[in-house]
Amino acid sequence: MQNNDLDKDLDKQDQEILALLKDYPMPEATAGYFDQALVRATHEGSRRQRNRWVMAGFGSAIAAGLVLWMAGGFFLTTPDLPVADPAIPGITMTLEDPRTINLVFASAEPLDAATLTVQLPAGIEMPGFAGQREVTWQTSLNAGKNLLPLKLIATSPLGGEVYAILRHDDRSRTFRLRIDVS
Amino acid sequence: MTASSNIAFEKLVRPHFDRLYRLAWRLTGQKVEAEDLFQELLIKAYGKLDDLVKIDEPGSWLSRIMYNLFIDERRRFARRRMHTVEEGEMAGDGLAGLPGTDNPAWDHERLERMRTLDSALAKLSDEHRMIVLLHDTEGYKLAEIQELIGIPVGTVKSRLHRARRRLREILSADGTFS
Repeated sequence: MQNNDLDKDLDKQDQEILALLKDYPMPEATAGYFDQALVRATHEGSRRQRNRWVMAGFGSAIAAGLVLWMAGGFFLTTPDLPVADPAIPGITMTLEDPRTINLVFASAEPLDAATLTVQLPAGIEMPGFAGQREVTWQTSLNAGKNLLPLKLIATSPLGGEVYAILRHDDRSRTFRLRIDVS
Repeated sequence: MTASSNIAFEKLVRPHFDRLYRLAWRLTGQKVEAEDLFQELLIKAYGKLDDLVKIDEPGSWLSRIMYNLFIDERRRFARRRMHTVEEGEMAGDGLAGLPGTDNPAWDHERLERMRTLDSALAKLSDEHRMIVLLHDTEGYKLAEIQELIGIPVGTVKSRLHRARRRLREILSADGTFS
């Protein structure tokens, strides 16, 4: 794979490092991911195109303002919810040792009045909510990535999956995090 | 956009999916971020379909758009870099893709060496890590890197030298190579 004269003077150690680098792995895309990405791109691309046309129409036909504004407002305030990662990330916690997990919600557009529900398996708790398996609150998301630091503590060695469910209007996305306890 | 636009778009971009996904992964180092970047590229490229159909080498064009999206994104979130789980946990994300062999002892040794390499790469600057991964892992030519990130070949070459030297220092200090 090396492709130029940069490598001709390499000693044994450099070559070992290069061999390691060539071998450096990366996971395959999730099965079906490319097809999904293609579908999302054509839908989202068309939607963005449509929004541009609606906004252009609003600028040029202000006399008909209210109806166009409502239409534009509708398009512009129905953003896609963040996409849940199909792979389940996992972490290992130590029993009775509090740990902050940073959950990231990537949103294409701002989301007001979204509801976030965190569901916990038995033996995993949020400090301040002892014994509660489900905690719900309202939140707003900015366009881009939104960080939720979630402090957790394992009170038993069972582990399990944490679900963070984001709801907006009638849509929802579920994010999962696998927790093992050592 | 029409169904025929969608078909034309797919025909132009699909042959480059594997290489673009690999680029997204090497730039971001994380699955979630890589998939976000890949998705954003497709959305952007779809909006530029009229340009895309006229491009001689769509692969290079798409790679450059991806790189620019990555840089824009990195600038925007430079002050609040975020991770789905704690940083240390995600650093070895790519190691999950390490194929097994019939020799468990060798697999274990290889995994340990990859973990060490992973940790050493994390200590490089973003610029150095990107260049070393593109050139030495993905096999990009110097000229391709020049075109992708928009710096002269001489600069690419010197950065690659420095990155390799630094990597060697880190691995030697670590005891991996003595």
